[in-house]
Amino acid sequence: MSLSHKQMQMIKRVLWTVSLMIVAVPFVFPFLWMVSSGFKNAAEIFGQPSLLPATWRWQNFLEVFDHQPFARQYFNSLYISGAVTVVTLVISSLAGYALARLRFAGSALLMLFLISALMVPEEVTIIPNFFLIRLMGLMDTHVPLVLLPVFGAHGVMATFLMRQYFVALPKELEDAGKMDGLSRIGIWWKIALPMSRPALAAVAIITFLHSWNLFLEPLVFLSSLEKFTLPLALANFTDAYGLPLWHLQLAATSLAVVPILGVYLIAQRQIIESFAMSGVKG
Amino acid sequence: MTPSEKTTTMAHASRVPWLTLRRKEALEAWLFVSPTLIGFVIFFLGPLIAVGLYSLTEWNLLSQESTFVGVANFRDALTVNPDFWHVVRNSALFALGLVPMNMALALMLAIALSRPFFGVVFFRTIFFAPVITSAVAWAIVWKFLLQGEAGAVNQLLASIGIDGPNWLREPNWAMFAVIVTRVIKMVGLNMILYIAALQAIPRDYEQAAQLEGASRWQVFHMVIWPLLAPTTLIIMVITTIGSFKVFDHIYLMTGGGPENGTLVLAYYIYQQGFEFFNIGYASALAIIMFVIVLALTIVQLILRQKGSG
Amino acid sequence: MTSLALSNLAKSFGPVKVIRDIDLSIDDGEFVVFVGPSGCGKSTLLRMIAGLEDITSGDLMIGERRMNEVSASKRGVAMVFQSYALYPHLTVRQNMGFGLKVRKMPVDEINQRVDEASATLKLDVLMDRFPRELSGGQRQRVAIGRAIVGNPDVFLFDEPLSNLDAELRVHMRAEIAALHGRLGNTMIYVTHDQIEAMTLADRIVVLRDGRIEQVGTPRELYARPANVFVAQFIGSPKMNICPAASIAREMSGDNLELNKAVQVGIRPEHLRVAAKDAGNLNGRVTVSEYTGAGSLLHIEVDGVGSFLVAEEGQVGAQQGDVIGLAFSNDDVHLFDKDGVAIHR
Repeated sequence: MSLSHKQMQMIKRVLWTVSLMIVAVPFVFPFLWMVSSGFKNAAEIFGQPSLLPATWRWQNFLEVFDHQPFARQYFNSLYISGAVTVVTLVISSLAGYALARLRFAGSALLMLFLISALMVPEEVTIIPNFFLIRLMGLMDTHVPLVLLPVFGAHGVMATFLMRQYFVALPKELEDAGKMDGLSRIGIWWKIALPMSRPALAAVAIITFLHSWNLFLEPLVFLSSLEKFTLPLALANFTDAYGLPLWHLQLAATSLAVVPILGVYLIAQRQIIESFAMSGVKG
Repeated sequence: MTPSEKTTTMAHASRVPWLTLRRKEALEAWLFVSPTLIGFVIFFLGPLIAVGLYSLTEWNLLSQESTFVGVANFRDALTVNPDFWHVVRNSALFALGLVPMNMALALMLAIALSRPFFGVVFFRTIFFAPVITSAVAWAIVWKFLLQGEAGAVNQLLASIGIDGPNWLREPNWAMFAVIVTRVIKMVGLNMILYIAALQAIPRDYEQAAQLEGASRWQVFHMVIWPLLAPTTLIIMVITTIGSFKVFDHIYLMTGGGPENGTLVLAYYIYQQGFEFFNIGYASALAIIMFVIVLALTIVQLILRQKGSG
Repeated sequence: MTSLALSNLAKSFGPVKVIRDIDLSIDDGEFVVFVGPSGCGKSTLLRMIAGLEDITSGDLMIGERRMNEVSASKRGVAMVFQSYALYPHLTVRQNMGFGLKVRKMPVDEINQRVDEASATLKLDVLMDRFPRELSGGQRQRVAIGRAIVGNPDVFLFDEPLSNLDAELRVHMRAEIAALHGRLGNTMIYVTHDQIEAMTLADRIVVLRDGRIEQVGTPRELYARPANVFVAQFIGSPKMNICPAASIAREMSGDNLELNKAVQVGIRPEHLRVAAKDAGNLNGRVTVSEYTGAGSLLHIEVDGVGSFLVAEEGQVGAQQGDVIGLAFSNDDVHLFDKDGVAIHR
């Protein structure tokens, strides 16, 4: 018996979808397991595994806040990431504008310098930066967590993303702005920026996530619990012997990850496009 | 003509102001880049030079003393300290495992998801989700899933009759586990870059090749793959550099263990600098890492140049 | 009111001189067109007047004031750009009022001026649209409206019609001419299209390599071009040029007074087709192109060269025909060895 062309196509499509679903398992499973285990009690965590908890233990999510100043830490992450995002937007769009639109001797050299920063891992400069921050008296503050991403590889990436976008803006618009009496800052603020919303959104999204997920810098610069950011706090759910308190750790991790995932699911198109635009790391 | 031309220019020269539009533009440009430039010098260029200087000293933070020792730290790393080559081997293994696996999977997923079909957005969203998730959360969850007997992965394997290893407690399996979980976390990014590149290839090429009777594999091998070459190069450079940067993932999953089996260069630098306070030695390691990353980038760019030329 | 005077105006990028010693005065209310091939410096010169490019040397006077170092927005000039340069994120109304808002004019007055301009240009129904929702002609009109609201002394147009299709171009050309008639401002208009120049200008300035080749009314330029370049640039199809000696040798009948001319030029529309031996020259038709109103003939005259003839009427000469070419001596232009016109 031979199958019609249409039937073959159908079977192919089903097989295709099923195989993609199998590949998707290790991508989805950790999230499901994380949330479900956040509801389990300590005993069940090590018992017979099941995707759904035998009893839903909501208290885990409250105990998270007893174990550490988790609300404070959550807020720290929010406001630091917000600050990094705003500062990065301003600084990278200023520099990106100059590199894209203004003629000045040394711009090519400057670009080369900045590109080199993209190649260097932050582990290379973290030791001198530690001494620098200590010298400035900024240890155990949030200042370095704003300064280092803004002026590190990530800031350079944002600058290049903005530059890439500004390069494509028509030059005559700026001339029109000059005829209308705008200063250079005015042209940047009232013409270049409003026309570059997609690039600004991309930079904002990537920058926020970058700062939100940062780990090495908080680990090096922060020491007091109430200053911690989320990633540092999550790593810190251990008992007196340094062993993980799994049910609390997973509940806290769920609290940190799920809202971001929620935003991602709503705005997945925009977020994915932002990363595609950057063409660089996250 | 010439003399009169000269006198007119001379006569007007005094009236031309210093701040021409051209100079004003350059001045404004420097003002615009100055925040970036100053920050770059203070937090990147300065530290890069400083770390080079530190690497030439014997400096333990606990003793508060630093003495110039020349290249002793480098000699120590390269010839004396057995840990160093072990760490380099680990980093190389990590990169050699991660980069090809990541790129191959990314390309396969991209090919599968570059054409519209029912569910394409769903799958893209899923494969990209780990990219936006914090490395810390990802590491915590996988550490949980990969526990010895109680871990979900092993329980799952047991249900189909496979006796899984204690993933994170056996050196070779631990390396394998950190690589695979890292690939799952980051493959979505490369997938997106490949999808963008694939969608930018005009369908004409493929259709022309198909009209000439090329098979699907031939179309891919002879048309698509060469057109993807620039993207492949960028992805390779980014992924390779990225693989050397990986710190949080390993720090949280294995802590560099077991038996230093997953102790990679980035972690080793952190350990020497911030746990053992050997600033001089850690700085030398940082310089070595810098050189390795730079060399790999340059080699890849040269290979590409030769390939295309 | 507002005249312009350019004296010895020059601009160079390092050693490269792009504008050389331009002397020109423009009267109040005059419509002056800068025309020339691409790269001749006409746009650069306009941008120097606008304040968008540095003036390396010389003086720019607008009215009684020396404007060399005055910023673009304070020169009392407005500019209409080739790409219209409308701000895509602002509505038509906001676009037109933008410059006034930057200059901190009261909102009431801005609205009043914008409304006036929109009435003049029939933009009323478009005021709340964004530029992307407008057609090319409408965008052009908004760009002009934006220039009008600032009530400038001088309007500058930088190839404003080159992005429009042929039909719309003719229409907008007429609108700009009408606008000039109504407003009476001084206008400077840059184009590479000599027909635009001829139809719009009170005076045309022909530029080449950053220099003025000739200044004059359209009629002067057409009738008495100063040199071969202007002669060939103004008029379409362009003027036939041939060596003087050869044409004198080949010509039958009455003698042309050559006055040491080295080159001779005759416009295609001044050549008439006659029967063989009935004209001043004999030639053979190599190509005959029917254009509707008439034909364009390419005629090879042995020992002289090739001539283009614009022949009117439906019955044109055919390829291969041997015909006579007739012209009046008054229509012959003479040029010396440097290409400079010799006037009789």
